[in-house]
Amino acid sequence: MSAVTELRQYFTETKRWLLVPVVLLALLPLVSEQYFLSIATQAIILGLFAISVDIALGYVGLFTLAPAAFFGIGAYSVAKLVVDYGSSFWLGFPAAIVIAAVIALLIGYGPIKRRIGLVYFVLFTLAFGVLVHDFTYTATWLTGGSNGLGYLTAPTVFGIDLSRTVPYYYFALLGVVVVAGLLYWVLSSDYGDVLHATRQNEVRMRYLGYDTDREKLIAWVISATVSAIAGAMYVATVGIASPSLMAFSLTGEVTIWVVIGGLGTFFGPFIAAFALTVFESYLGSVLPEGYLLILGALFIVFVFVLPDGLIGLLQRWRDGE
Amino acid sequence: MYELPLLTSSQFVTYLLNGISQGMIIFLVASGLTLIFGLIGLINFAHGALVALGGYGTLLIADATGSFWAGLAGAVVLVALLGLVLERSVLHRVYERPLLGFLGTFGMYVVIEELLSFRFGDQTRQIAAPFPGTVNVMGASYPKHRFLIILVGAVVAIGIGALLSYTRLGMEIHATATEPDTAEILGVDSARVYTLTFVIGASLAALAGGLTGPVTSVSPGMGMSYMILAFLVIIVGGMGSFKGSLLVSLIVGQITAFGWLFFQPTYVRLGVFVAAMVFILYKPRGFFGKPEVFE
Repeated sequence: MSAVTELRQYFTETKRWLLVPVVLLALLPLVSEQYFLSIATQAIILGLFAISVDIALGYVGLFTLAPAAFFGIGAYSVAKLVVDYGSSFWLGFPAAIVIAAVIALLIGYGPIKRRIGLVYFVLFTLAFGVLVHDFTYTATWLTGGSNGLGYLTAPTVFGIDLSRTVPYYYFALLGVVVVAGLLYWVLSSDYGDVLHATRQNEVRMRYLGYDTDREKLIAWVISATVSAIAGAMYVATVGIASPSLMAFSLTGEVTIWVVIGGLGTFFGPFIAAFALTVFESYLGSVLPEGYLLILGALFIVFVFVLPDGLIGLLQRWRDGE
Repeated sequence: MYELPLLTSSQFVTYLLNGISQGMIIFLVASGLTLIFGLIGLINFAHGALVALGGYGTLLIADATGSFWAGLAGAVVLVALLGLVLERSVLHRVYERPLLGFLGTFGMYVVIEELLSFRFGDQTRQIAAPFPGTVNVMGASYPKHRFLIILVGAVVAIGIGALLSYTRLGMEIHATATEPDTAEILGVDSARVYTLTFVIGASLAALAGGLTGPVTSVSPGMGMSYMILAFLVIIVGGMGSFKGSLLVSLIVGQITAFGWLFFQPTYVRLGVFVAAMVFILYKPRGFFGKPEVFE
């Protein structure tokens, strides 16, 4: 009984604590200049992207090297509809979700059902990621090739021009908070416990009657879909869907964010993605080429010295007190 | 629609040789990966960066000394030393945890590539071939350097094959890969075997980078595309199977060389990727991979 109350208290407390960063982010436009705000917009969207990748990497242990592919699929879905077919920006989101979910299901079904090992899953998704990128580059008729698909801006809704920086920031913040909130709710539910338990001891979960393959596949599809949503939100901030949104370097970056933030910690990857994206733009004015170098070095330190990531570091520090 | 083009015999020879030399470079990259992969089970993502380091090392030392051979030898030795340092300092600690090993080598890849790009810029640079000019083969004039690549590839294939089959180290590698505990009890110093294998793999990467320099030029990201191809090659060839990666490298080389007569080069690459994905799903041990080599 006491454990349950304690747990409930813990969760309510965490949730209340969560309002602080959301409020801070909502107040940001009051103090920030336009340029920084456009960086912050990208940073929160990339934070959502990092959370989506953490679901596959951290919660399920599906080590994917294809997140950029799904991010790009989301971005291209919106860009294709708006630029080539002249249809509504908003139609892009359901399109991105459906396309990403279907592709994720097709790609994930085989490897997950056949329970291929970690090494094989890494290489399978690596091949898929590179394939999608190369295809995007080559299939000019569909994707515009290396020129990409541009330009697009977010539309005006209810008299609010979303193509301006501040409104789009609030739109992105709202989207990120809603999607991340839903994910958090799902992952704190019994389903999240099932995922955690499956990662810890899959065989026992199967003995207990759980169809672990199905649970993993569902999480995989959710992860890919949220990546696509992030991509769909992101594309309006750059105005053009180009193959660089699918490049391996983006996969590398998001993997680094997730590990630095802490695998399976949900907030860690968001914080790391946000902080490092802001850091990148700051560094861009001082040492333009140093970002990836510093990121890589930081990453090595985290992998070998602090594999639990930032959140793990915080927990250790709190427990030490 | 593509019409089947008629090839003259000299064109045919050129494509065939292109395929072989391309396949040999892929093989040199893949052979190092497959040794490390087959023995240690480590997805060594730093391998691509070591290829690029080999290329730049060869370029710089060759510029300084005026000799391609000094450059190649120097680069191989330096990269082997770097491999030794990396393996002894951090990598040997994460062999039991493949995820960390993969992530750690991935970080190393990023750092090395960015250091190269920081120091030398992103533009490609050419290494002068040690034997410039061409040879006449059946009516086709073919660059001498590509013959050199084929020759070195063949020598390495035979050399590593002999090392694995006929030497004590080769036996120890087999033993450690199959039954690490038993091998240890029987007096094999497995830590030493791991280190040596990693160093051999690193030198092969540098060799590939230096050799391909005069053909494909040198850039910080040069190792990446080779490495991805090489990963897929060792899957189709079978993890840890040496002759498998040789055979599949040569097949991929030929497919790339002749494939673009019919399709765009990228579609040929895509086909190779799809084939590799199918292999991972339905035949994860490849043509020759023996189950006990890995897992």
